[in-house]
Amino acid sequence: MVEIGPSIGTILDRASLDRAAVEQHFERILAANGPALSRLAASYTNTISDRDDLLQEIAVAIWQALPRFRGECSERTFAFRIAHNRGINYVTRTRTQVSGPIEEIEVHDPAPGPESDLARRQRADKLRKAVYRLPVAYRQVITLTLEDMGYKEISEVLGISESNVGVRLNRARQLLHDLMENQK
Amino acid sequence: MNTDIELEAWREQWQTDPVVPPNLRRNVERQSRLMKIGLIADTVVTVVMGGGTTLWALRFPGTDRGLVAAATWFFLAAAWLFALVTKRGLWAPSAIDTASFVDLSIRRCRAALAATWFGAGLFVSEVAFGLGWVYKHSLQEPQPLLRWLWFSSLRIDIVWICTLAFFGALVWYRQRKKVELTCLLTLRGEMAGQTADGSDRQESQSAWDGWPLGRRARRSRPGRDKRQI
Repeated sequence: MVEIGPSIGTILDRASLDRAAVEQHFERILAANGPALSRLAASYTNTISDRDDLLQEIAVAIWQALPRFRGECSERTFAFRIAHNRGINYVTRTRTQVSGPIEEIEVHDPAPGPESDLARRQRADKLRKAVYRLPVAYRQVITLTLEDMGYKEISEVLGISESNVGVRLNRARQLLHDLMENQK
Repeated sequence: MNTDIELEAWREQWQTDPVVPPNLRRNVERQSRLMKIGLIADTVVTVVMGGGTTLWALRFPGTDRGLVAAATWFFLAAAWLFALVTKRGLWAPSAIDTASFVDLSIRRCRAALAATWFGAGLFVSEVAFGLGWVYKHSLQEPQPLLRWLWFSSLRIDIVWICTLAFFGALVWYRQRKKVELTCLLTLRGEMAGQTADGSDRQESQSAWDGWPLGRRARRSRPGRDKRQI
């Protein structure tokens, strides 16, 4: 008998293998970028529940986009690009700005211990508060910079030129500096 | 500060992933939820009690029933006024820093302590009015007031049992809130001391761990510094 094409069993096996691979991929991306994505979500929101909702949306969007990921960029860039798009959607949808009281945002702490003392918390709270007050365009650039991304990677995530990244970053740093000074 | 050094410092702070002490955050969130539930409960009570007595007074007109409806609305208005005044600014922390969370918890504690006094006063007034109304309007045969009040019927028994239970619960709740307030004030003091000189960090960290269980839980921890009590 001549085999014309793959049997249904083979197709199903491949589909389940693909799904398992996507699941593994998804878990790997979240494990590697979870805390950073949580910080990014926190920079777009002002309450814990909103942060969690946005993080959930980001995770779902990554899951949906993952089968189309062809490795043209790094996984981190891929995840952050989706996260920022979701963040922008969130801001557009809710028009969240610094009008209401800002709730304390708890973010994942990978290494709690003597280092996570109160003074550090207060300094980081202050920084987070200042970052949240930045205009979205500057907030995006500064959050990615604070996540150790270079100009090239940021430009890939945000879809802007590297020179534009540089301009925005300078302005964002200046604004952030002023905001931090004003909080003193 | 040199901008690159500054950026590095920010980067470190950003990636520190600071957390509000989880027990403090959870407690504030739980209190917020309870406040919302309380608001719904107050609304339901207002509709049921106020609406009920008003309908009753309209359906069976009479001065005595009108008096009950008016008194009910008076007590409800007093309770709402007190709740609105004391809960103002207690729904969410005012800023993103941990100190605001502690401050909010302290103000909530104080409001709860004030509410116990108000609750006791309101309860006594309501019971006095209710008993007075029943004594004046619904007794079949006149009886001396004191004898009537002294466990003369099942209704009176229920009133006294409820009063006893209410005040027992009130005393227990007050004690709990006082312990919580003392603990929070200690934490705020430690926090202020720590930020002033930057020392004693580990001690302050340990202080958060026992919260909000209060002094007893913290006292039982081996090796504790007595000055934290």
